[in-house]
Amino acid sequence: MSNMRTTDLAVEVAPSKATARNVDVYYGTTHAIKNVSVDILDKSVTAFIGPSGCGKSTFLRCINRMNDTISICRVTGKIEIEGEDIYDRRVDPVQLRAKVGMVFQKPNPFPKSIYDNVAYGPKIHGLSRSKTELDEIVETALKKAALWNEVKDRLAAPGTGLSGGQQQRLCIARAIATQPEVLLMDEPCSALDPIATAQVEELIDELRSQFSVVIVTHSMQQAARVSQRTAMFHLGELVEIDVTSTMFTNPSHKKTQDYITGRYG
Amino acid sequence: MNDRMHTVTAYDEELGFLSNCIAEMGGYAERMVDRAVTALINSDHALSKQVISEDVLLDNLHREIDDKSVLIIAKRQPMARDLREIIGTMRIASDLERIGDLGKNIAKRTVAVAEVRQPVRLYRGLESLAELAMIQLKEVLDTFASRRMEGIILLRDRDEEIDAKYTSLFRELLTYMMEDPRNISACTHLLFCAKNIERIGDHVTNIAETIHYMETGEGLTAERPKDDEHNAVTVNKA
Repeated sequence: MSNMRTTDLAVEVAPSKATARNVDVYYGTTHAIKNVSVDILDKSVTAFIGPSGCGKSTFLRCINRMNDTISICRVTGKIEIEGEDIYDRRVDPVQLRAKVGMVFQKPNPFPKSIYDNVAYGPKIHGLSRSKTELDEIVETALKKAALWNEVKDRLAAPGTGLSGGQQQRLCIARAIATQPEVLLMDEPCSALDPIATAQVEELIDELRSQFSVVIVTHSMQQAARVSQRTAMFHLGELVEIDVTSTMFTNPSHKKTQDYITGRYG
Repeated sequence: MNDRMHTVTAYDEELGFLSNCIAEMGGYAERMVDRAVTALINSDHALSKQVISEDVLLDNLHREIDDKSVLIIAKRQPMARDLREIIGTMRIASDLERIGDLGKNIAKRTVAVAEVRQPVRLYRGLESLAELAMIQLKEVLDTFASRRMEGIILLRDRDEEIDAKYTSLFRELLTYMMEDPRNISACTHLLFCAKNIERIGDHVTNIAETIHYMETGEGLTAERPKDDEHNAVTVNKA
């Protein structure tokens, strides 16, 4: 109980890590995100929920400029991480993505060894000066991702040979190896069984002490379990964002109420 | 209830079932208390036995509501309003079950009170106390069915009247006992009956607060008048 209470309190006092102001996203003529303003708090988990096609993934992908890779996609408005405008011309998207890690729906390890999967990011960003240092980074990342004990004896084995749950934790290790400030997760558990899901959720809870985590999920229960704040999207608009415990017991908006109780979508 | 239906229609049916069970329990509880008081006043043993035997129906319904609620929580993982609806239903069911028990307890005392036929005036205070409690119970059950929140704070605060009436009845019964020690046995039982009815009022208050929580998501915590002064009543004062 006392633990639950401190979690709620922590949310209220945490400073903002990332802020989005009046963000609009267009795919060609389609208006996918409509005037969304939101604060992502530091050292806490923010969940994005909403029916399919509501724009939650699109918005998530704005935070590390993944939408830049889509030629017809246009983003307006302002997104800042630690006060720095990430759409500023001087910002290098590759550097940005080292700061804003991402984990996808399906585990997608590189067709390389477990070690290389994790070492790839730190290597290209020049985060280590020696082999020993790189070894340390890999070990720390795998430990944080709760995978170290399972793979420490076969670091040279291909990452694709691991089970689905292990592959997803490997992808998380890869994402956190570059010491990101924000970790974006797009339905990270939808391809996993309940046990692997529980392991990833446990991991998210631990990562919260160091990172700001944003998770898109279709599972209301998952959002309720892992996040401290929840944002509800609908047809490209942000319906509401509130403390998770309030969102799932007494949301302010009828749309949220209908969606989370299974009356919509 | 929410005007919009769930995508899974069986879910709506399950919630509807719970709410029907509460209505049914409410009906039983109302009837039990009403008939228990009638049996007491008329020294009607047959009626009191009937009331005692009916308690099992209420207990069964209570158990059924608990079982079904647990099952719905496990199966549907309810959220927001649905979650409050189910938790509220479980709380109301146990309040109604307690009300039934209190009615049964009144019925059980019929024999002891009737052993020496008491003058009518002893029952009058109890009768009007019971009437007040019955009106409260009926209104809270109506509010459960209609979910209209306008009068609910007023309804809850009216428990004050029951408490005041109970305190004055307490004094009255003490007076009868002092007048004639032969009244003591019956009056003590009547005192317990009065206390039972006063507690029924408290359960009605609980139910009103639960309904408010189910509808609005907020507890009714505003300062509620506490006018139950009977614990300060002494023989001298009376």
